[in-house]
Amino acid sequence: MTMKRLWKAGMIAGFALGLVAAGAASAQTMRVFSGGANQRPDLMRKLFDNYEKQNPGVKIEIETGGATSELQRQYLSTVLNAKDAAIDIYMIDIINPMQYARAGWLEPLNGYLGNEANTIMNTYLPAYGAANVVDGKIVALPAFADAQFLYYRKDLFDKYGVKAPGTWDELAAGLKKILDGEKNGAMNGVATTGAAIEGAVCTFLKPYWSQGKEFNDAAGRMTLDKAAAQKGLEMWLSLVDRGVMQKNIGEVKPADMINAFKAGNLVAMVNWGFAWDQLQSQADSTVKGKVGVLPLPAMAGGKSATCIGGWQWAVSAFSKNKAASAKLVRYMSSPESAKFLAIEGSLLPVFAQTYTDADVLKKLPHYRDSLPVVQAAKGRPMSDRYGEVSDAVRTSTNAVLARTVKPADAVNDIEGKLRRVMR
Amino acid sequence: MGDRRGLFSAGGLRFAAAAIVVINGFFPAIWILFTSLKSETELFRKPITYFPHEPTLKNYIAAAVDQPLFQVFMKNSIIVALLATVVSLVVAAFAAYAIARLNLKRRQLILTAIIASSMFPLITLLVPIFETMRALGWLNSYLALVFPYVVLNLPVCTLVLVSFFQSIPRDLENAAMIDGCTRFGTLWRVVLPLSAPGVFTAGILAFVNAWDEFLLALSLNSTAAMRTLPVGITLYQGEFTFPWPIISAALIVAIVPVAIVIAIFQERVVGGLTAGGLKG
Amino acid sequence: MTSWLDRLRDPSEKTLGVILLAPAFALLALIVVYPIGKLFYNSFFDMRLSGGQGSKWVGWQNYADMIKDGAFWEATWNTVLITVVTVPGALLVGLGLALLANLPFKRQWPVRLALLLPWALPLAFAGLIWAWFFHTEYGFINDVWMRFGGEPQMWLLSPVSAFTAICIAIIWKSSSFMALILLAGLQMIPKSLYEAAEVDGASRWQQFWQITIPMLMPSIVVALIFRTITALQTFDIPYTMTKGGPGNATETLAMYIHKTTIDYLDVGFGSTLAVGMFVLSLVLTAVYLRHISRQESA
Repeated sequence: MTMKRLWKAGMIAGFALGLVAAGAASAQTMRVFSGGANQRPDLMRKLFDNYEKQNPGVKIEIETGGATSELQRQYLSTVLNAKDAAIDIYMIDIINPMQYARAGWLEPLNGYLGNEANTIMNTYLPAYGAANVVDGKIVALPAFADAQFLYYRKDLFDKYGVKAPGTWDELAAGLKKILDGEKNGAMNGVATTGAAIEGAVCTFLKPYWSQGKEFNDAAGRMTLDKAAAQKGLEMWLSLVDRGVMQKNIGEVKPADMINAFKAGNLVAMVNWGFAWDQLQSQADSTVKGKVGVLPLPAMAGGKSATCIGGWQWAVSAFSKNKAASAKLVRYMSSPESAKFLAIEGSLLPVFAQTYTDADVLKKLPHYRDSLPVVQAAKGRPMSDRYGEVSDAVRTSTNAVLARTVKPADAVNDIEGKLRRVMR
Repeated sequence: MGDRRGLFSAGGLRFAAAAIVVINGFFPAIWILFTSLKSETELFRKPITYFPHEPTLKNYIAAAVDQPLFQVFMKNSIIVALLATVVSLVVAAFAAYAIARLNLKRRQLILTAIIASSMFPLITLLVPIFETMRALGWLNSYLALVFPYVVLNLPVCTLVLVSFFQSIPRDLENAAMIDGCTRFGTLWRVVLPLSAPGVFTAGILAFVNAWDEFLLALSLNSTAAMRTLPVGITLYQGEFTFPWPIISAALIVAIVPVAIVIAIFQERVVGGLTAGGLKG
Repeated sequence: MTSWLDRLRDPSEKTLGVILLAPAFALLALIVVYPIGKLFYNSFFDMRLSGGQGSKWVGWQNYADMIKDGAFWEATWNTVLITVVTVPGALLVGLGLALLANLPFKRQWPVRLALLLPWALPLAFAGLIWAWFFHTEYGFINDVWMRFGGEPQMWLLSPVSAFTAICIAIIWKSSSFMALILLAGLQMIPKSLYEAAEVDGASRWQQFWQITIPMLMPSIVVALIFRTITALQTFDIPYTMTKGGPGNATETLAMYIHKTTIDYLDVGFGSTLAVGMFVLSLVLTAVYLRHISRQESA
C-alpha cells in the first residue's frame, strides 16, 4: 500500500473509532453491587433488564462479591474507604446506613427525589423510615423487607392439638407434648440464632422488647433495663432446661436451622422471612406444605416483638453517575418492583399495600398474617458505632447460651461496654 | 535388624508409617469427596453417614450451573499462581544469593526488613494497597494480584533459599570462578542446581500461597471475569445458606490442579542431588 | 579502565549486591512501604470513619488506650497461647511426617501428596471443615466418641475444648508447611554421614540426634520463624470455627484488629493494634533471626 493509501485508511479507522467511542459514551453504564446469593441477584437482574428496556441507552452491570454479610462488609469497607468510583450503587444491610452515611460514603438522595423527598419515606413500612434517614437526609431506599417469624410444623401441631402459642411458655408446653409423642431422638423443639453472629443481637432483643422495654432513646442514649434483659436471656435458657431447645444452641446459625427443619428434625424455629422460599420450593425439602408461619411468642404479660431486617439500595458518594443512579434506585424501590420480588422470590415487600395485593396473596396467602408482624417489627439500635454495639450484645448472648457466663453477669458486661459508646 | 516378616519388620513399620501420613493428609479430602456425592438431606441425617448411601453427581452439575464462570475462576487462579511463582522464585533467588553469599555490610538488617514485611496483618494494609493498584490502573487485572503475591511470598522463599544456599560449600563456586565463570554464572550453574530441593520447595510454597489467597483477591479483582477460585467458591454460600455438598464438589474440582502441581514438584524436592556435589 | 558494561558482566560485590537486591526492594517499595508507612502514621490519629469527624491528632493516646484495653490483652493472651501450643506442635508433627515421608517407599507420590494436601486446602474452608468435624450433632468426632461409649460433647461451646479444637485444626494445617521445609532440608544431608556413623556403630537413635537434628537446624529455624509469624496472625481458623466464641474466649489479636478496622471502622486504633502485633512478632522472632545471620557457609 502506498503511504497515501495508508494515511487514508488510518483516517477512516480513526474516524470510525471515534464514532464508536462517541456512541459508547452516550450509553450510560452503571455498576451495581448486589450482594450475594441470598439477595437474589438473579431477580434483580430481571428488574434491571426491565429498566434498561424502559430507558434505552442505559446499561446496568451487576457485581456480586462477598456471599455473606461479613464478606460484603469487608469488601465494602475496603472499597468505600478507598473512595472507589467504580461502583455506583450498593446494596447494604439495614444496620449500615447510619455508619456509612456518617463516614461520608453515601450520597443523600433528597436532591434527586424532587418533591417526593418529603413524602416518600412515609410510603414505606415505618421501620425503614427510621433506618434510612440520617441527620434528616435520605441515604438509602429499601429494596426488600425482612423480619423474624416463628416457623412451625403445622402437621405436628395439628396432630397433637397444639394451638398457636401466644407466649414462650405455651410454645414450650406444646413442643414438649409433640416431642414426647414423636419419640424421635433426633428431633428438637425450637431453635433460634445462638452463634456469635449478628443474628444473636436479635435473639437478645426479642424477649427484651417483648416486655415493652427499649434499648435506646430517640437521641441514641442507652436505656438498658437490666432486669428485663436478664429475664429475656433466662427465658432462652429455660427452654433448654425444659428440653425443648437443643443444648448446643450456641452453635446454631440460620442455615443450620433451615437444614434441620427441612430434614424434619426441628419442630419450630425463629428465622427470617427468606426461610419460607427455602422450605417450600427447594427440591430436598421434606416439609413442603407442612409449614406454618406465626408471629413470635411473647414474654408472659408482654407483647410479641420481632426484629426488622431487609436490604437497602444506596448511591455511592463517589459515583460519577449520581443522578442516573438515584433514578435507578427509585425504580428498584417502587411498588412494582416490590410486587415482582414478592411473587418471584418470596421477598417481603416494603410497602404495606403489596401485602394485600390480590396477585401476591394468591401465591403467598400467609402474607396477610405477615403484614402486622412486619409493620410492628423494630429496628436494632441506631448508632454510628453500631459495630461495637453489635459486638457487645452478640458475644454476651452467645456466652450465655453456651453457659460460660451467667445472664446477670452478661447483662452487666453489655452495660459496661456500651455505657461509653451509646451516650 | 534382620529381615523378619510381620508387623514389626522394617517393611511392616514402613507401611504403617506410610498409612499414618496418607490418612492424615487425605482424610478431609476424602470427607469432602464423600460429601460432594451426598444430597443435603443425607448430610443432616442423624446418626451421620460416612460413605454416601445414595450417591449422586448432581452437586457437580449444580456447581457448574450455579457458577457458570467456574472455569474462568480456575483459569485466573492458575495464571496468577503460575506467574506469581515464577516471579517470586527469580526475585527471591537473587535476593537470597546476595544475602547468603555476598559480604554485605547490613545483611541482618536486609533480611529482617524482608521478613518484617510479613509481620503486619494484611487487613490493615488493604486500603493503601487498593489505592496503589487503582493509581497504577492495575485493578481487576492479573498484575494486581501477581505483584502483591510476590511480595507476600518474598520472606518465605528468600529465607528458604538463603538457608539452602548457605549449606552449599563455597569451594564449589570458587572452583567454578577460577575456571572463568562469572558470579551470575555460578548462581545459575552451581548454586541453583545444588539447592534444587530448596528451589522446588520455595516454588511449591509460592504456588500454594498464591492459589489460596483470599483477601486481596476479594478486594482487588472483584469483577466476575477476573475473579479467582477461592473467592468464587465462597459465592455458593448465601447470607443464610451453606450448601456443603455443592461447595464440596467445587472444592474437589479446585484442589485437582494444586494436587497435580504438588505431585510434579515433590518429585524434584526429594529428587536427589546431582552426583558428586556433596560428597563429604 | 573498565567500562560499565565490563563492570556489569563481572561486578564488584557491592554492585552485584545492589543489582540482586533491587527487584526485591523495588517490589517491597511499590507494594508495602506506603501501606506500612500509612499504618504507622494512622496509629497516631483518632480516625473513626463513621464518627463523621475526620482524623484528629492524638499522639501516643491510642497506644496508651491499647495498653489499658482489657480486650486487647485477652486477645493477645489467646494469640500467644495459640502460638506457644501450635508452633512446637506443628514442628513435632511436621518433623514426624517429614521423617516418615522420607523413608524409601516403592511408590512415593501418595505419601508426598498426602503430606502437602492439608496445606493445599484454602484456609477458610479448612476451618469450616474442622468446625463441621467438631459439630455437636453432625460432626464425625462426636460420632466416633459415642461409638466408644462417650456422651456427645459440645466441643466448640466450652472455652477449653474450643481452644483445643482450634489448635488441632491449626496444627493439622500447618504441619504440612513445616513438613515441606523439613523434607527439603533432609534431602541436603549427605548420606555419607549416615554411612560413616553406621560403620562407627552408632544406633539409629544416636544418628538421629547427632546427625539429623544438627544438620536440619537451618531448616528448623526457617520453619519456626514463619510458623511463629503466622501463628501470631491466626485469624481464619478461629473465625470460621467459633467466631471468637463462646463469648470472647477464642478471639485472637488478628480477629480483634479485623473487628476494629472492618466492623467498628476505627482505623486509627486498628492501626495502633497492628503496630502492636508487629512489635510482638519482631520480639518473638528476634532470637531466630540472629541465629540465621550468624550462620556462615561451610
